[in-house]
Amino acid sequence: MSAHLFPMHHSEAASGAVDSRVIDDSMRLPVLILFGSALHWLIAAALVSVVLSIELFLPGLLGGISFLSYGRLAPIARDLFLYGWASQAALAAGIWLTARLAGRPLASSPFGGVLQSTLIISATVLWNLAVLLGSLAILAGYSTGVEWLEYPTWASATLFLAFLLIGIWALLLFDRRTNERAEVAQWYLVAGFCSFPWIYGTANLLLTWKPVQASAQGPIQAWFHGSFLSLWLLPVALAALYALIPRILGAHLHRRNLAPLGFWSLLLLGGWSGLGHLIGGPVPAWMTAGGVVSSALFLIPVVIILINLLGIVLHHPEKESQSLSFRFLIFGTYAFLVLGVLSALISWPDISGIVRFTGVTEAETQLWILGAISLPLLGVLYEAIPQLLGRDCWCRTLADLHYWLTVVGFWLLVGVLALEGFFTGLALSDPTVSFLNIASYAYPFYVLEAAANLILLSAAAILGINMTRALAGDYFFPKK
Amino acid sequence: MHRLTTLLSGIFLVFLTSWIGLVAYPALQLGKLAPVPDADSGASLPPVYGGEAVAGQHIYASEGCVSCHSQQVRQTSVTRIDIERGWGVRPSVARDYLRDSTAFLGTIRIGQDLSNVGRRLPEAAWHYRHLYAPAAVSEGSVMPSYRYLFTLSKIQGQRSAEALDLSPEAAPPAGYEVLPTADAKNLVAYLLSLKHDYPLPEAGPVKNIPAAVTH
Amino acid sequence: MNHDHPHSPQQDEAACESSTNRPLSPWLVGAFILALFWGGFYLAFNSGGFRQDVYESNAVNWAGGAVVVAAPPDPKVVGKRLYSQNCIVCHQANGMGVPGQFPPLAGSEWVISEGNHADNHLVLLMLNGHQGPMQVKGQSYNNAMPQWKQLTDDQIASLLTYIRSDWGNNAPAIDPAFVTQIRKGDGSQSDPWMQAQLLAVPPVKDPGAPAAK
Repeated sequence: MSAHLFPMHHSEAASGAVDSRVIDDSMRLPVLILFGSALHWLIAAALVSVVLSIELFLPGLLGGISFLSYGRLAPIARDLFLYGWASQAALAAGIWLTARLAGRPLASSPFGGVLQSTLIISATVLWNLAVLLGSLAILAGYSTGVEWLEYPTWASATLFLAFLLIGIWALLLFDRRTNERAEVAQWYLVAGFCSFPWIYGTANLLLTWKPVQASAQGPIQAWFHGSFLSLWLLPVALAALYALIPRILGAHLHRRNLAPLGFWSLLLLGGWSGLGHLIGGPVPAWMTAGGVVSSALFLIPVVIILINLLGIVLHHPEKESQSLSFRFLIFGTYAFLVLGVLSALISWPDISGIVRFTGVTEAETQLWILGAISLPLLGVLYEAIPQLLGRDCWCRTLADLHYWLTVVGFWLLVGVLALEGFFTGLALSDPTVSFLNIASYAYPFYVLEAAANLILLSAAAILGINMTRALAGDYFFPKK
Repeated sequence: MHRLTTLLSGIFLVFLTSWIGLVAYPALQLGKLAPVPDADSGASLPPVYGGEAVAGQHIYASEGCVSCHSQQVRQTSVTRIDIERGWGVRPSVARDYLRDSTAFLGTIRIGQDLSNVGRRLPEAAWHYRHLYAPAAVSEGSVMPSYRYLFTLSKIQGQRSAEALDLSPEAAPPAGYEVLPTADAKNLVAYLLSLKHDYPLPEAGPVKNIPAAVTH
Repeated sequence: MNHDHPHSPQQDEAACESSTNRPLSPWLVGAFILALFWGGFYLAFNSGGFRQDVYESNAVNWAGGAVVVAAPPDPKVVGKRLYSQNCIVCHQANGMGVPGQFPPLAGSEWVISEGNHADNHLVLLMLNGHQGPMQVKGQSYNNAMPQWKQLTDDQIASLLTYIRSDWGNNAPAIDPAFVTQIRKGDGSQSDPWMQAQLLAVPPVKDPGAPAAK
């Protein structure tokens, strides 16, 4: 078990890095609470997704109930995945990785540890309240109607503030780090933590708090969607991959000198990647062209990152790992590969003309959220919790079950969405086929989507059980 | 790369490029687009729509209609199918959304595109029936029923003029009628206002382009 | 010094050189540069001159040429869609109708305006429908055709243009303006036509679409 994966310094005393157990001690409670609440929302989001996919093929089942209508539940599911699960898991993973990579505990500032922990925990409570009450507000009919920004103003402002209270420590920790030469993972963490306030603040300001004229909102919405995923969540996930994969395998990053190019090109193109969702839309032609080019060129950072990470695996086939976290990290890397290829493909105008607005778009979004982002974060969760608790705490059977259910559920969901979208898009291209006819052909796909979502819900629930068991530890499951 | 300040400056500059292109430029240019006068009548285009439709936009937002419906007719250089399918007579442009408070462009079409639904389905009665019981009006539709936007009330003497004419499978029990609430009326007023068929300087001619039927 | 690994400094140096920091592969660099060039050219040719008011990406070329406006859709495509939504139940997808019940459109003198059947008769037939006995291609039919005056002039014109061009038919298109004209002049008739009554209306040929397009 890789209990002491860190630190990377061969001589801790000389470099000034603090012992990893001390670092973990300093942030045990905040990180555990962040991961714990994130997991709660993952389960809730998966549950709402199951209800949503059932409503697609049984619309009469819950029809007529205002707070269960598709239009109210769909934004809730999306926002729970984005803000409830992914952002909190990214905060947890980000803080843990930043501190461990920096070789510094959370509590080394003049203020002392209690203040920082309290601030982070209070911010986490605020964050969760905002997500909970914001979701209830959407259910009650107070959604703003802007995609991914449906929370009322008071909720989104609270999220913004809560992030500042948590994120600032990550930046301070980086600045006080003990390793002279920052490693790749640390660049990505800084980028991620810097971008959330900028992206979330700008988007909310111009779209929901003081909306700009609606003729301008299309590009800003698209920018927000693209940047939120590729500049906040993805960098934290990539940091996890860059930090953990080499260490677990005990090898170097492959062709590390490509990494800076990968980093900067990802940051550059990530901001523009949202344009891929506006191809042919009511925006000047250069934005459509920009969307095509940025989605295609996005393959450059994808290729570089894959070389860096998968290169290790391919060049060191003798190095295997029993690590519970490793398989999620590699799974996430493969999802990232599929994502890059799919994005580039569907941004080609002729193909976009057929598949945009269909399940293929949703498949791409799921590849982002559930794939390239969530899987590495799950990898960090499996790695961090035992180290924070100081003991080997996972039940192997439950962990295996979680992994395999996630694999099946994820690829089933993405595959079904992509196929449904592809066939629907082709059928829609023939103007003589009526829309309702096409909708009826999608029924079997909707059923399969519901099944996939059910599998993912079970996976999340099993992880929840495993985590509860891990945290409850010696009290309820004494070692024999 | 190895000092926080260097890294931060680099990140800031790189973020700035997409921020300028996709946030600042639209806000300052597209966000300042003004209505244009109609060549024939002098009226302002896009047309102003009334208070009911403005209130209806908020219902559209809170009911999450954008989760299933888009509101954009794509440029013909990408695809002609939106126009051939009758969802619009010309591609949508930024100025079309001038009068809205939120541009509900949408990202998925589980339901049809609605940017020209006011032109394609100009009868309020159809919309009321459809919102109340979508499956009765469009067979096989997956749209949820919005009957909570309506009230079921006992017929007092004579049937109200506003009562919905429903087909037998959706009709209320005898002696009752279905009336739209203010929310329903506002929403339908908004839907009926959705027509991007007026000519705009950047949007190409609308002559000689056949209209659509209910589809 | 690279810190992405847990080994000793001596191992670091050797390992660093050997596997992680080989010179950049020229193929990879070449591919990236090609991609960047492609991106540049694509943007140059498809950005509509980076103008704010150009929405069609094929509208303005790099030399700043004239703005090309999107062409209107083909009436035959629209007409085919309308046909499949409205007419196919009786007249069938192959335009052959049902023998004894619904007359065919393929080769029908009514459709291609042959003999004493003129363009305006076809339009009037669409507007008001037909009842009673009818001769089509030497066969007798006695069924009711509903009226289609609720369709717009553009729609009727597209539909008629389509049926006059498919299944071996090859008659000139019907113009929307012609439909407008016929509809206006048809104030008196509100019931479906009887054959003799309809053919008694003086024949009018569609003069064709106006020259300016």
